[in-house]
Amino acid sequence: MDFYFGLAQIIGVHTLLGLSAYIVLLTGQVSLAQAGFFAVGAYVAGMLTVLAGWAILPALAVSSLFGGAVACAVGFPALRVKGLMLVIATLAFGEAVRLFFFNFDYQVAKGGVKLGPVGGEGFRQIRYFPEHGWTTMEVMLFIWGFVILAMALLWWFDRSRYGAVLRAVGEDELAAQSVGINLTAVKVSAMTVGGMIAGLGGGIYAHYTTHIEHASFGILLATFALAYPILGGLESVFGTVVAVVFVQGLLVEGLRFLGDWRNLLFGALIVLAMNVRPKGFLDAPALLWIGRIFRGRRGAA
Amino acid sequence: MLDFLQSASDGILFGATYALIGIGFTLVFGVMHKLNLAYAAASVGGAYCGLLIVKVAAGAPAFAVFFGAFLAGGVLGYLVYLTCFHFIPVSNPLAALMATVGMLLLIDEIIVHETDGVPLNYPAMFDDVMLRVGEFTLRGDLLMVFVVSMVCMAGLLALLYKTRLGLATRAVSQQAVAAQLCGIRVGRVNAMTFVVTGLLGGIAGAMIGASVGTLSPLLTTPLTIKGLIVTVIGGLGSIPGAIIAGLLVGGFESVLQQFRGVTERDLYVMLLLFVFLVFRPGGLFAPKGGRD
Amino acid sequence: MALLELKGVSRHFGGVRAVDGLDLAVEAGQIFGLIGPNGSGKSTTVNLITGLFALTSGSIAFDGRDFGALPTHLRLGRGVARSFQNIRLFGQLTVWQNLWVAQNSPADHAKRGFLSRWLGGQGDVREEISQLLEFSGLAHKQDELAANLAFGEQRRLELARALATRPKLVLLDEPAAGMNNEEIGLLRDRILKMRAQGITVLLVEHVMELVMDVTDRIAVLNFGQKIAEGTPSEIQADAAVRKAYLGGETA
Repeated sequence: MDFYFGLAQIIGVHTLLGLSAYIVLLTGQVSLAQAGFFAVGAYVAGMLTVLAGWAILPALAVSSLFGGAVACAVGFPALRVKGLMLVIATLAFGEAVRLFFFNFDYQVAKGGVKLGPVGGEGFRQIRYFPEHGWTTMEVMLFIWGFVILAMALLWWFDRSRYGAVLRAVGEDELAAQSVGINLTAVKVSAMTVGGMIAGLGGGIYAHYTTHIEHASFGILLATFALAYPILGGLESVFGTVVAVVFVQGLLVEGLRFLGDWRNLLFGALIVLAMNVRPKGFLDAPALLWIGRIFRGRRGAA
Repeated sequence: MLDFLQSASDGILFGATYALIGIGFTLVFGVMHKLNLAYAAASVGGAYCGLLIVKVAAGAPAFAVFFGAFLAGGVLGYLVYLTCFHFIPVSNPLAALMATVGMLLLIDEIIVHETDGVPLNYPAMFDDVMLRVGEFTLRGDLLMVFVVSMVCMAGLLALLYKTRLGLATRAVSQQAVAAQLCGIRVGRVNAMTFVVTGLLGGIAGAMIGASVGTLSPLLTTPLTIKGLIVTVIGGLGSIPGAIIAGLLVGGFESVLQQFRGVTERDLYVMLLLFVFLVFRPGGLFAPKGGRD
Repeated sequence: MALLELKGVSRHFGGVRAVDGLDLAVEAGQIFGLIGPNGSGKSTTVNLITGLFALTSGSIAFDGRDFGALPTHLRLGRGVARSFQNIRLFGQLTVWQNLWVAQNSPADHAKRGFLSRWLGGQGDVREEISQLLEFSGLAHKQDELAANLAFGEQRRLELARALATRPKLVLLDEPAAGMNNEEIGLLRDRILKMRAQGITVLLVEHVMELVMDVTDRIAVLNFGQKIAEGTPSEIQADAAVRKAYLGGETA
């Protein structure tokens, strides 16, 4: 059973990462910086519980705020550039964060043992969960509590005027400006909310793996973050969850029996999925179809 | 001072390969307004394919390997076009972008799978030649890399400005719809762009292998990022910009490696990019903005 | 005091003087026509007033205050809305949502708190948007995606979207382009209704019947300069206008 709880933990954390890219994508901005915010959250939360001895909840709150603050700071200059330039700028930002932690040493002696991040070796012994006797199931439920919270938030956004404004900006910036929408405020706010969700996800990630290092936060993680909402479709937050389950559950775990052929199939399946369903798994017609099933075919005409 | 000159000149010579990668990104952007993230991976893949020649005929000359890489790069470029752009509707740019990421992972994994992730030796030419001016030296293999890259760029420019295909390509990059109305088959021009950039990429991959001495799948990610940085610094869509930015980035990172070490080097390259993004977001040679 | 006042406004693109030393004064409550041959600088003028282009020289004042380099969305906050020559709706939003996202006026800000303005649901504003839908005859299409509307409906939605921002002045950039006579008649009624509600209209248009019919005053541009200004009947009689624009024919 522990295997499935562990898998559910991974899916939960990656869902947070995917949701952080989802809200930014709604405004039409392709950001590869989400892994950077995730990394910032991971290191901040880890240092707070291990070095400062904080409890997990305040540590996660601070890591989330930190992720949001960094995203907001990056958002202002980065969103001056558009489209493909932004892809490249955010990609470079993510790499800069990774390289920063690659060169980052901050160790404190605690009870005769030196703890803290050491450059390329990473940050070991983030043992809050085992030290406090949490079982795998408890950790899993803890993570999914946050995932549901984040999904509820974004789902609410989608139903409010804010969500419509995000999509309006994503569709036509010039028209959005012309009906009085402040582009900078909208884009930076989306980036900041995305950064907060990524920072939270990173903080949780640091604690369930207990060991983080710069290499985990590279371009691969950044493209995963982006891949979830694109694969899932931007119509609904549930698309992102479906895509995470597909990638982490089916491709990464489900195909383990294939050995290293699995990795080959992984890239090929992404290519195939995008050719077959260019608007994602849960595009508008798919959502309509699902809606009909739930309503017992009352809506079917 | 001598250290500085030495590392700067080595870096500029090696930077010619970055320039080639940058041209590949910039050309695809210029013609299709798309980002092909699989490009650097396909380039390294092409270089690996070149090595197959040594496998078949041991002792084949380095020249043959390079030529093999060149051709294989073109084939891979066409494959990337087919899988990521041909069938995906233009109205879904995100899907095409994601598909190129899928191709990047796929090519990377094929290389790892076939080589067990072990770096392979790559042949070079003139690696025993050293030009000396006092303490200052120019490595023969780096010079060869530089010259070959420059010849390829000259070939590309000739193709773009002296042939009908080049004319069609430039027409599509300026006004795709108008070009289509004039009877240019845009799909074919797009495909040809991928083949041509693929050929350049194959050579770039081979030249990187030749100057480093080995080829490893670990090259693809940093090469993707460096290529993109070169593209931005040069100005998206500008070929001369990509060439100059490539040499600039090559020299810059080599000097910083000399003085700040290899782990910090790339951090400064990123900083250089941010300086450009903030102060000159259009790059060195920003295309002039027109109306609307 | 004029509601909108352009003084010596110029915009050059490289060597091209798209707008060159233009003076305009639009009085509150007027329907003001801006006409001229293709490429005479009408659309550029609209883009200068809304702040999409920066001025090369000159000044634009609205409601007695200079616009300076105010960004587009803040000009809208002062009361300048527009429609686009080539329709620019949010195609993947519904008709209803297109009007919803346009509610950014200071009046809307004052009426609702920050949270309700941004995170409120559709119920809060149902009444206001129903009125706009009624006005533009789109009530039955409110849940359609804007991209799926017919051409004439899209034009109507654009007008309604501009009105959703509670403007003092609406710039209409060729609203009748591609419309048939019946649709143009309905458009004329709507423009007149807007004036009745106290909204000033700057109408850029090629369809002369409409311009001559509804406007109080007309300015004629040619090569970025104003060559004539007056009432519709004065303009129709103006020799310079006939020569430059009507080519001798009567419209």
